[in-house]
Amino acid sequence: MGALLYLSKRTFINNLKKAVKKPVTLLLMVGIVAYVVLMLYSLGILIKEFHFESLSGFIAIITAWTFYMFIGNFIQYFSRKGVIFRPAHAHFVFPSPISPKAVLLQGAWMNYLLSIIVNLILLIAGLTVFAIPLWKMLLFFMAGTVLDISFEISIMLILYTGERFSRETIQKICMVLKGLLLAMTAVLVFYFYQNGITLSTVSTFVDMPALQMIPAVGWNIAFYRLILLGPGQSNVVCAGLYVVLVMVTFICAWRMKCEGNYYEDAAKFADDYAEMRKRKSNGEMVFGIEKKKKYKIISGEYGATGAKAIFYRQMLEYKKERFFLFDKMTVMCLVLSIIFSRVMRDTVVETRMPQLVLLGVILYMTLLLTGYLGKWENEIQNPYLYLIPDSAVRKLWYATLAAHMKAFVEGCFLCLPMGIAWRISPLQLILAILVFTVLQANKLYTKVLAQCLVGDVLGKKGQDIVRVVMQMFLLGFGMAVAVSVGLLVNADLIFPIVLIYSLFVTVILGLLASLRFDRMEQVL
Amino acid sequence: MLEVSNLSKTYGKVKAVDQVSFVVPNAQVGILLGPNGAGKSTIIKSIAGLLRYTGEIKIQGIPSRKMEARRMFAYVPEIPAMFDALTVREHIEYIRKAFDSTISDAEVDVLLHRFELDDKQDKLGNELSKGMMQKVSICCALAVKPQVILFDEPMVGLDPRAIKELKETVLELRSFGVTVLISTHMLEMVEELWDVMFVMNHGQIIGSYEKSEVGEKDLDDLFFEMTEGDK
Repeated sequence: MGALLYLSKRTFINNLKKAVKKPVTLLLMVGIVAYVVLMLYSLGILIKEFHFESLSGFIAIITAWTFYMFIGNFIQYFSRKGVIFRPAHAHFVFPSPISPKAVLLQGAWMNYLLSIIVNLILLIAGLTVFAIPLWKMLLFFMAGTVLDISFEISIMLILYTGERFSRETIQKICMVLKGLLLAMTAVLVFYFYQNGITLSTVSTFVDMPALQMIPAVGWNIAFYRLILLGPGQSNVVCAGLYVVLVMVTFICAWRMKCEGNYYEDAAKFADDYAEMRKRKSNGEMVFGIEKKKKYKIISGEYGATGAKAIFYRQMLEYKKERFFLFDKMTVMCLVLSIIFSRVMRDTVVETRMPQLVLLGVILYMTLLLTGYLGKWENEIQNPYLYLIPDSAVRKLWYATLAAHMKAFVEGCFLCLPMGIAWRISPLQLILAILVFTVLQANKLYTKVLAQCLVGDVLGKKGQDIVRVVMQMFLLGFGMAVAVSVGLLVNADLIFPIVLIYSLFVTVILGLLASLRFDRMEQVL
Repeated sequence: MLEVSNLSKTYGKVKAVDQVSFVVPNAQVGILLGPNGAGKSTIIKSIAGLLRYTGEIKIQGIPSRKMEARRMFAYVPEIPAMFDALTVREHIEYIRKAFDSTISDAEVDVLLHRFELDDKQDKLGNELSKGMMQKVSICCALAVKPQVILFDEPMVGLDPRAIKELKETVLELRSFGVTVLISTHMLEMVEELWDVMFVMNHGQIIGSYEKSEVGEKDLDDLFFEMTEGDK
């Protein structure tokens, strides 16, 4: 255990030293903390606006939180993906003479920290927003940090070290649990759709004694209710059962034999997690750990030469993919569009300027979402690109052409549902899709330029911030003109102006960005 | 001594290792030879306790998963993975604590000097090149002062000087009574090192030799004789 403590201590100290040496990282961290605090503060205001700032409101929140976190954690631990190890653990820690239980306990430190932070936030919220007495909140905090973390550790140890279940059984149980979560969500959505979301409907739902009788998770909720509401018939019994359950699982976990059979799954997960982090740090929008892609076998030939071959090779790769140009990003565009079109329909129709709102959504998607890593970004890391005997501009065009086509498809999925729901004319809608496509191209070229300008100084996140600032600066003028003309003259002129202006800017940016396709080594 | 009996490992429906048994006696260098995908790394990882398997593995007569056994063996994986925020020296310090190793500071200095890492001691794990990581990985394994040591393709990524140093180290370890198992497909690299050799193909040991049996016969000839015959 001493070695693991040493490992944690040195990692913490060295990371801190690194952060101090890199003020940008430190500033980013401060920014993130400030953003989270601001979000929580806004959430507090929202709770007050909806008149949820009572004890019943607090109980409703912790009931939902406990239910989802409890089952979510259970699924993660059961599938042996709840504790994040690094590939270095497989190299240096797993083969060493350290108890596999101790390895697990140390590996899960982030989980405990997260639980403590959440409990701390709930403690502050309970005192400030919900005006719950201090002694009750302190008891609640103690229960959350001591009892719940002990239970979580015990469950984690039992599920990781238990070798009785086969992989197939584990997968089936996880599916059932996920189904349970989905069913619970469906019940909640249906209940609130029928009764509306008010404090009384929420309280009626969470006060149902049946909820507290669900083994483990319900008993956990009952324990909180006992602290916050005082003794009642069902909460005393269920809370008692929870304490017994925590004790029993703790003893089982303590006595359970463990020789490190979970190392194989943990090492595999560590590799997958490292891969995911790598993709994330490359600026890609990652939706979690993905399974290894399966490619289709396709036939056909392409006879393109020079830089054109890059495009045809990319298309060949897309054809081999299961859904061709469509992926999670396309689904996200469609889902967001459906949500926006439904939620904002009345307001947008009332404003009589749906084009302006649609432009706002397009700009949001372009500026603030980091997006996926297009194939072009892998292209410029490949030395063969620079060896192709063709001009840099043609290389840039053909390396990014598939990305433009993909942007067009996403533009259709994003603009059509909103456009139809907000009664935008077909011509305006086509223009909106083209604007989205051009702005995505603009984003891509600005990204290349940002990489050239600050790639040596800033990481991917820093480069992305520079990209956003550059794009805002370059497009700002055209947008301001388009919006002014739209407001003062005719709203139908918004998209044509934006399209012409952004096309002009994008072509210039493209020509500048083509420098990146000339040489592998970048000296600007 | 390293004893492997009836070791089998399956990934899904694929049998990577099938009923493999072999013994590397004390103070001998065993070589696991075989083409890519023969199952060499799976055997090494199973011995290191990183995989679930069926069969039995013993280190100095003790089941390999027991703490007493783990204390006695060291492992150099094929692809080294460093802790990003730990320096080279801290990696060794961690190993010293984890294995309760008796290695002194002076011995660590000598080790780092041998593998040309003495000026890289304060470099963090994520600042090292692949070759340097491999050297750190070897130094960490040696810092254990093991009785059994496993090397999985140890020469990959090393410069000629480090390869020479590693070969000398392996011979030294043998002279100190340490049992060494090296998995490789680079025949020329282990020519002068081996005492016992196990040739693998398709997850099985298709032949084994002792150096005393083969005399001056070339390792290449022995290997191809066996694997080509298998085809």
